[in-house]
Order: sequence, then C-alpha cells, then structure tokens
Amino acid sequence: MLIVIVFIITVGAFYLIHLLPGDPAVVILGTGDSPANRAKLYRQLGLNKPILEQYFVWIKNVVRGNLGTSFISQTSVWSTIKTALPIDVEIIFLSQILAFAVAIPTAMRSARKPDGWLDRILSAGSFTLLSIPSFVMIVLLVLFVAIKLGIPHTGPSSYISLSADWIGNLESLALPSFTLAVGSYVVYYRVLRSDLIATLQEEFITMARSKGISQRRIMWRHAFRPSTVALLGTAGVNIGGLLAGGFIVQYLLSIPGLGYTLIASIGRSDYLVVQGVVLVVSVGVILINFAFDIVINIVDPRISRE
Amino acid sequence: MYVNEMVEEASVHNRPERKKRLGLLFWICVGWIALNLLAAALANVLPLQNPIFQNYASVNAGPSLHHLLGTDDLGRDIFSRIVFGSRVSIEVSLGAMVIGFGVGAPLGMLAAYRRGKFDSILSSVMYVFLAFPAIIATIAVLSFWTPRSLLKIIVVIGVASIPLVYRVIRSAAMTVATKDYVVAAKVQGATDRRILMKELLPNVAPIGISFLLVGIATVVTLEGALAFLGLSVNAPTPSWGNMINESLAILQTNPWLAIFPSLAMCLFLLCLNFIGDRLRAHFDVSEGKL
Amino acid sequence: MSTERKLLVVKDLATTFHTPSGPLAAVGGVSFDLNQNETLGIVGESGSGKTVLSRTIMGLQPRNNVEVSGSVLLNGFEVVGASEKEKRSIWGLEVAMIFQDPMTSLNPVMRIGKQIDEILRVRLGMDRQAAKAKAIDLLDLVGISSPAERYNVFPGELSGGMRQRVVIATALAGSPKLLMADEPTTGLDVTIQAQILNLLEELKERMQMSVVLVTHDLGVVATRTSRIIVMYAGRIVEMGSTREVFARHRMPYTRALLEGSPKVSNPSHTRLLAIPGRPPNMLNLPKGCSFAPRCSFATDRCREERPELEAASEPGHTFACWNPLPVKERASA
Repeated sequence: MLIVIVFIITVGAFYLIHLLPGDPAVVILGTGDSPANRAKLYRQLGLNKPILEQYFVWIKNVVRGNLGTSFISQTSVWSTIKTALPIDVEIIFLSQILAFAVAIPTAMRSARKPDGWLDRILSAGSFTLLSIPSFVMIVLLVLFVAIKLGIPHTGPSSYISLSADWIGNLESLALPSFTLAVGSYVVYYRVLRSDLIATLQEEFITMARSKGISQRRIMWRHAFRPSTVALLGTAGVNIGGLLAGGFIVQYLLSIPGLGYTLIASIGRSDYLVVQGVVLVVSVGVILINFAFDIVINIVDPRISRE
Repeated sequence: MYVNEMVEEASVHNRPERKKRLGLLFWICVGWIALNLLAAALANVLPLQNPIFQNYASVNAGPSLHHLLGTDDLGRDIFSRIVFGSRVSIEVSLGAMVIGFGVGAPLGMLAAYRRGKFDSILSSVMYVFLAFPAIIATIAVLSFWTPRSLLKIIVVIGVASIPLVYRVIRSAAMTVATKDYVVAAKVQGATDRRILMKELLPNVAPIGISFLLVGIATVVTLEGALAFLGLSVNAPTPSWGNMINESLAILQTNPWLAIFPSLAMCLFLLCLNFIGDRLRAHFDVSEGKL
Repeated sequence: MSTERKLLVVKDLATTFHTPSGPLAAVGGVSFDLNQNETLGIVGESGSGKTVLSRTIMGLQPRNNVEVSGSVLLNGFEVVGASEKEKRSIWGLEVAMIFQDPMTSLNPVMRIGKQIDEILRVRLGMDRQAAKAKAIDLLDLVGISSPAERYNVFPGELSGGMRQRVVIATALAGSPKLLMADEPTTGLDVTIQAQILNLLEELKERMQMSVVLVTHDLGVVATRTSRIIVMYAGRIVEMGSTREVFARHRMPYTRALLEGSPKVSNPSHTRLLAIPGRPPNMLNLPKGCSFAPRCSFATDRCREERPELEAASEPGHTFACWNPLPVKERASA
C-alpha cells in the first residue's frame, strides 16, 4: 500500500510540470533561458521524448537524489530542500512537545469531572482556539505579545540557526512553535478528553478502583494508555498537516523552512523547486502517518490482534 | 454499564420523548451565519460603500458614521470590504462542498449499500487519495494551473475533499446498511432506490450535516491561507484572507486593519463549529466519526 | 441466630440513581448480615438491583448522580457516607470484588501479571520481585498453567475462563476477608462455570473468607451457600437458609424462579416455566407489591399496599407477601 501511494505521488508530482500553460521549458527556465540551459533542461527532463519515457528519466534521477537544478537560482533543488527541512523538523518537534505537555494534563483534569467547572472552562477555551486560524493567531501574537516583549517576529534576519546560537535559535522559533502548538493542543485536548471519558466508563476502571489505588494511579496507569489510540492517529495526521501546512507560519514570520521555500518559489515561478518540495513533503507526510500506525499497534495490543 | 441497562430498560416502558434542547447560543450562532450569508448575497443591493474605491481624503480613518469600521491605508471602507470579502469565503466553501458532497456522498452511500467489489475497488482508490496531503496538493495544483480563477479554486478544493466526504459518509452508511431493518426491507423486495432514499439517507444525514459544517469551516480557513500565498482571488477584490494579509505591512500603525477581518472570520468559524458541535451532541454522533 | 461475630451488617440500605428521566430506586430497604466465613447467595432476575446492591455494599457505586442511604458496617467500617479516600483503605484488602464479565473487567492494554501485583506493590508495599513471585503463586492457585509465562500476556490472549481466573487472582491478591462475586460465571461455558464455582468454594475455605455470591441462577447457589436472599425490583422479597428457601419458600416469585431453573430430579425434557410478564419499570414502580402485575396470586391488596418482610416458621426465614404459599414439604432441589 505504502509503495503504491508513494508511486502515485511521484506520478502526481511529475505531472505538475505539464499543467503549466505553453512550453514547459520556457516557463521553467524563466529568467535563466539560454540555449545552453535549454539543452541541459531537455537532458534533465527528457522533454523531447514521449511522456512515459520522460517519467522514467525523471524518476531515475529522483531515486538518485537528483531533483534537478533550478535555472533561476542556479542551485540544486535537493540542496535547497536539505537546508530548509531541519527547520521544519525543529519547529514541529518543539510545537508537539509543548502541545502534548499541556493537552495531556488538561484533558486528564477535564475527564475526571466532565461538565465540572474546570472542564467547562477548558472546553470553552479549546473551542474558541479551534476557531482561530493559524494566520490570525500569528497576527494577534505579533500585535499583543511579540511587539511588547521584543521577541523577534519578522524580517528576513529574524531566523537564527541552531548551530550559530542555540538560545537565539529557540527565541526565533518561539513564535512559530507556539502558534503551531496552540492549533495542535486544541485537537489533542478534545480527542483525548472524549476518549478518556469513554474509557473511565469501562468496567476495568471500576475494577482498578476496587483495588483501592489512588485516583492519580487510575488515571495514569489504567485510563491513559487505552485512551491514546485516537490521539496518536490524530497526531500522525496533524503532524503531517503541520509539515504540509506550515508555510503560513513560516511565511508570516520569515522562517526559511520548506513552507517558506515553497511560497518563495511559487512567487519566483521556480517550478522545479516547487515540484521538489511537493514531492518531499508528500512522501514525508505519508511516512509520518505510517510511523504513527506502527506506534499505535505497539501501544494497544488489541489492534494488532484484530 | 449496569446502570445504563436499567435506565434503558426503564425508558423502553414509558418512552419519555425527552426533548433535547439545542440552547439559545445555538440559535444565536445560526442567526449570525444566516446574517452573514444574507449580507454576502445582497452585498450589491445593500447601501454599502464601494469596496474598492480608494478615498485618499480619508486614509486609515477610525470608525465613523460614514465608515462604520473606518478605512484602510488606501482609504477603502473596511466594513464594506469585509462584507464583500465574505463572498469569496462563502462562495469557495459552498462551491467546494457542493462538489465534495455531490460526488463523495452518493459514492459513499452506494459503496456502503452495495459492498462487494464495487466497494473494495472504490474504497482503495479513495484511500490512496486520502493518504495524499490535501493542502500541499491544492497548493501545488493551484500554483501550476494558471491563470487562476475563483472557479479553479473551487474545483481544486472540491475535488480534494471528495475522498474525505466519501470516507465519512461511507462509514456512517455502513453502520446503517447492516442493521436488521435494512436487511428486512431488502428481503421484502424494496427497490434499491427506495432503501437508499428512505432508510440510509435519513440516518446518514445528521452525520453528513455535521461534517458539512466542519468542511465549510475548513475551507474558509484554507481559502484564507491560500490568500496569503497569493493563490486566491487577485487584488483588489477583497477576501478575508487578502485583507488580513495586506494589513500585515502596517500592522503597527493601524492594527484595526488586521483585527476587523480577523474578527469577522473567527466569529464565522466559531459559529460554524458551535453549530456542528451542538448538532453532533443532538444526534449522538461521536466526534471520532468525523 | 448464631453468636458469631458479624463481618457485614447492612441496614436499610437504599441506592437511588438520578437519571435524566427521574430518580431510579435501584435498591431500597435492604437489611441483612453476614457471618465470618459464610457464603451468602443473592438471587434475582437481571435488573433486580443485585449488582447495584453488591457494589453499594462495597461503596463502589458510580461517583456522580447517586444517592446512598442506610448503613453498611463492614468489619467495623461504615461504608455509607465514607469518602472515596477512606473507602480505598478497605478496598482490595478488606473487601474485593470479582466482576461479572471477564471480557471487560481486565485492562486490555496491561499485562495480566501487572494487574494482579498492583495491589501487592501499591497497597502492601512489596518490592517488584516479591510481588511478581506472589502474583505467579496466585496464578498457580487459580489454576492457570505455566503461570510464570502467563504473567506477561495481555488479557486478549486468554480465553474467557482463563480471564475470569485472572480476575479472581486479582481479587485474592490482597487476601480480603469478604469477597463479592457478582455473577462470576455469567459469560462462561457451562463446564467452565462449574470449574470456576468450585474453585471459588475451595479458595474460600483455604483463605477463610466470607463470600457474597450474586447470581440469577438458583442452581448456582443451591449447594454452595448457607443462606439466600431473593431480590425483586431492588428489594428483598425472601431471605433464609438455603435449605429452607428451597424447601419451604413462601413468596410466589421465589417459586417462579425455582421453576425457571433446571433440576436434576426432573424427568428429562421437562418444560421449564418462564416467569410471565416483564421485569418492572424501575422508574415507575407499581404502588403495592412490585411483583403483583406478574403474580397469579395477586389480590387488590397486593396492588395497593407493599408487603414488608415478615418472619416465617423457621428463625431467620423472612418473606414479603400478602398471600404466601402454604407451608408444606416440597422436594428440595
């Protein structure tokens, strides 16, 4: 299944070029149009050959890690992606730690007394946050927090790489990570809360109670793990979504990750880079979902047995 | 649990016909959405300022009787731009959902009802497309498929939503299609058409409507995101996303420019989500199904 | 009655659930006691409140929307009105419960050994090694073969009968003085049922426990209990020594229950008599005797006035009925 999906993605990404109006060579070369480049592009994409053969020429290069060379920036597409990708990974990593760190304890508290005052507040809060798109969230954060606290928030120089200065790096990623964390938190809190409430109705929870163990232990040792299946499934989809949809945050805060690269390339009509990013992100999303499926099977032995 | 059994046992006897109330807030939200739809539909007839007329005499003006929410940096009326901007969000989301539900829902119901080869082939095709990251596919297609137009945006988002709608509707219909009364109707020789319309549809509809509301909210957000990338409608046509995007450049001098359209969008989404949530509770649809 | 020290004294116990459709009196006016080392049977149809009663005795009723009144004195501890925290001190060590359905009462994502030794480690403070050794002993005790390997399996890898043995081992881990067995064999095959019941009886003797055996099946309690409580619609309708109740029951409902369970003495293919009618609507109980609508002896008085428990000829035997069955020797089951 995985292989079939990846295959179809490569076909899709390959075919994108042919959606361009007119001669793809003219469009791709853009400002870099010259007889030498044109010959190179034809070699690279096999543009004069039948379309099926073009695909094989292209996929052979892709498998070798050669996504082509952009004729606009004159750099290899793969090296562009390689410098951008770690930034996405870091933002997603930070945001997920933050989201889970808040979502798990708050969902636990809510589920202990559903419809209690704390649950009502938390649920209403999550509901409101659910309705704030990430770009609105950023605007609000920049307006009301970043400007006041002097947190770097905009301009091309705002990103500081991890190797240069790790404190500065964390500072420069604070806003984007926080924004993504808020969106993730809402989803995780809601899913975990409703599953925990369902789990707490189960007979084995009453049995655990009859052992005379503490509420805390019942929540963490008995109720938590059986309630995480939907949470993990959601997390897989959500993290994939952050990789694919992180461009808004990156664009608004000038963080040069993959999403930023994507938008910049669309703006410059640098189609080979767009194609490369689409391919890498798509495959990445699939792999993330796949990885989470495996984790779910480990966490809940019921699933693999069915 | 045993208590539930006792309660169920008890309710079999006297069927109290408990009226579940949707609550005042629900109707306020419905009202707000209706108001938005109405304003968007009638924007041309309403006594609104021209949303693209640039009045350099009053730039970045505060709220006044003439300009209810003030003007932007080009002297355009913000209130009128928000109303006209809502048209893009509403057109795109409704249009995309027409495509998504128009194709996905009947296919999902048919697959659940027919089962067998039809279902397994269709479902595996849908599964493959479902695994595709829809956002990135949308962006990719829109950025290559030039020149852009509102119709193309609707088509791309609509097509991308088909597998999602298909999955939700199919699984909802599946639980109904295996129920005894559907099997009984089949045995009694009811036509397929009749079973689909009379038995499946009424049971699938609540889930479908809840999902439709979630879908509209998602597309509104997505359209906003596309506007940031310059992949939505072109300036000077206003859309909520466009307005927020344009406001960023002068965020510090005139924050209202960002806040008003953001507020309009968030209120719209909040109401949609709330209506969907109340309906789910009303029809006892678990959140996991969406 | 005997002068032995009472392990359990229940007085006027009532459990009411607040449901969306109004209050539901699941248990009402229940009083009885239990001696050390005695086995008591609680019998009734499903929905008669016996499960709620057994949980209320432990104080294990749901936490929300429940009201409990009366008194449950368990080895000197007043359960009614005690906080969850106070009740935790007796749960597992003084009183433990074997749950109805072994398919749902074990945590599906926790290895069974961990579920058994949880009490040992958390409540008795044993270290990991000692607790594991004790848990393996317990698995062996309840008749699970190769216990050391089974310690590490998940509940889903075991059959229903094996899982119920694990549930029993878990209940026994804290060496409780009182074991509440709530339909311990309902979900199991007939042959397994007998095995489990015999195991319980054997363990009760070995560990010097008192047992409350809750069941809908009079056949189960006939030979294994010294006394029986028959419940209907949340109330005790007849109570007495097992022999007496089987031989000289006075309440028509008890007879109906007896006729509904197969007996060895019956000639084969004897038709079992089902009790006519349906169990009562607990939200809207009839004014008089709850059983009246289904009772062939019912009179206007039965429909108007609720009978209280009254003493029969033998001490300790009581019943609640306006038109009791005549006393005559019957063949015991």
